[in-house]
Amino acid sequence: MIPAAWTVYLKELVDALRDRRTLTMVLLSSVAMGPLVLMLVSSLVAGFEKRAEAREIVAVGMEHAPTLRNHVLRQTYTVRNAPEGWEQQLRDSKLGDPVLVIPPQFEAELAAGEAPEVLVVSSSGNQRAKAGTGSLVRLLRGFNQEQGLLRLAVRGVSPVALEAVRIQERDLADAAVRAAQLATMVPYFVLMAVLYGALNAALDSTAGERERGSLEPLLMNPAPRLALVLGKWGAVATVGMLIAVLSCLSFLPGQWLLRSETLAAMFRFGAGEAAAFILLLLPVAALLAALLMAIAIRCKSFKEAQASATGVVLAISLLPLVSVFNQEGTAPWHYAVPGLAQVTLMGRVLKGEALPWADAATASGVCLVLTLLALAFVARSLRSAAVKS
Amino acid sequence: MIEVLQLSKCFSSGSGRKKRVVQAVDGVHFTAADGCITGLLGANGAGKTTTLRMVAALIEPDEGQVLVDGVHVAARPREALARLGLLSDARGLYPRLTARENIVYFGRLHGMDGAAASARADHLAHVLDMAPLLDRRTDGFSQGERMKTALARALVHNPPNIVLDEPTNGLDVLATRALRDALRRLRDDEGKCIVFSTHIMQEVERLCDQVVVVAQGRTVATGTVQELSAQAGSADFEETFVKLAFPAHPLPAQVPTTGAAR
Repeated sequence: MIPAAWTVYLKELVDALRDRRTLTMVLLSSVAMGPLVLMLVSSLVAGFEKRAEAREIVAVGMEHAPTLRNHVLRQTYTVRNAPEGWEQQLRDSKLGDPVLVIPPQFEAELAAGEAPEVLVVSSSGNQRAKAGTGSLVRLLRGFNQEQGLLRLAVRGVSPVALEAVRIQERDLADAAVRAAQLATMVPYFVLMAVLYGALNAALDSTAGERERGSLEPLLMNPAPRLALVLGKWGAVATVGMLIAVLSCLSFLPGQWLLRSETLAAMFRFGAGEAAAFILLLLPVAALLAALLMAIAIRCKSFKEAQASATGVVLAISLLPLVSVFNQEGTAPWHYAVPGLAQVTLMGRVLKGEALPWADAATASGVCLVLTLLALAFVARSLRSAAVKS
Repeated sequence: MIEVLQLSKCFSSGSGRKKRVVQAVDGVHFTAADGCITGLLGANGAGKTTTLRMVAALIEPDEGQVLVDGVHVAARPREALARLGLLSDARGLYPRLTARENIVYFGRLHGMDGAAASARADHLAHVLDMAPLLDRRTDGFSQGERMKTALARALVHNPPNIVLDEPTNGLDVLATRALRDALRRLRDDEGKCIVFSTHIMQEVERLCDQVVVVAQGRTVATGTVQELSAQAGSADFEETFVKLAFPAHPLPAQVPTTGAAR
């Protein structure tokens, strides 16, 4: 049985690798896309960093508030007048900073102790402006506190009386954890690479073979059916894994292109992480190959198989989102759901944890059992599929 | 030698009130001897393809059995398949592989080593007059070229028995002639047992040593072309076939009775 399976494996591999057009598309979408998105995110983060470093506020009517202006300048910020039509620009995301609107009577009201009102205008649809709102509000609170303290000092009250509790912030997440938040898309992209790598080969070796009428002659050989199925499955899983390995490796040079220095320092994806990813993805490549073949063997044409495989593609694409929406952290059952389990585990590796062997064993075990079931189904369906045209 | 003994097969589709049962084969029997070309002649839907699929172990018969050189096909399918060269109705090739790779692939699945299979591909290419095609990818092959490649693929393991299901379907005159010559050579030079199914009278007249007429899933007559013509009392083979296959529906007088049915 093994020589026959090996023969089928080699033939299917050659066949799949000669399908240059499909391979090019898969390589472009799965291997080039990840680093590309990583670079886009990095340029976004670099934009935020630049904005933070710029220490600039955009205001309307700053000339009415010399005291506030003085405070702002002392905090090493610069003031820029809002451009013409700033409201529309904020709505259209053309202006990347929130706008501070100061009323004409500001200085007089401040002097009279009447608490003048200022407006901080941003748009929740404008991510960049919204991100800048926090620092602008903090700057204004600083001004408030300074004025308050001065007034108390004039009345002979100690500033300590205002501070019942002193607050200090400490972020427990280390650099790698923060990087993992930014890099959650890496495991997702790598998982998608396995799926798209295996998809075409799986459909071609089952429904495609049936459509072009080569399945029936194939079954007229004395090779055991299980050998045919194992050979085909091995080749499909190999192509899926090959694309996944290329995808993993593409992130290595991809990170050198990171524009944000902070992000580049935090994004830890080296050869060790890549190796762990590949190890974690092997069982899911095996499962996806078997599952897609099991779905496609029932279909009379490649097109029909593509439509039927949409369910698997959708499930694998959406399952990792469970970890995004689930606020309670990782539940034990996450490790029993193929796709979700691998993304969660790869995420943990990115956070700098050692490979969690026990959870990885659960995830791989589930994949293995489902793979065997799917392969048994394909072997059972092969003969009836061949004679039904 | 291939012995087909009282084969029966029925297919059912749907369920409940919509259930339909079709008796595809209902007692087909014949013996195809070595060194002899046996034609399985029948109209479309007569049960030829189903019969040949049972010979190829793709379908298990409800009743009856098939023996290939004495090997019971349903009980020992792999042993029987090793003694059979099968060219089925579906003869798809792998378009991204060359003709040689297509042939060698099947040779290896029959347990041959790569070099032996490749040498055999060269030999078959010579016999089937397809040497220039051998190292070209099969994508874009003509019907005739595809047929030759598929036939070479079916014969790569040099089987003593050859079964062909409507091999001339879609072939032009020259390709059909070339195929006939190849089959005669295989019979005369190598003493193969050849069974082929067809609904084309001309082919049967020109090629077959023995004819098995199949109608409505049954064997209705067996013999040489001359014997069958004598049995039906007609010099024209097409009329002979119609009389034997459809005794309840004789040909209307105005139907032309000369030439092939094609």
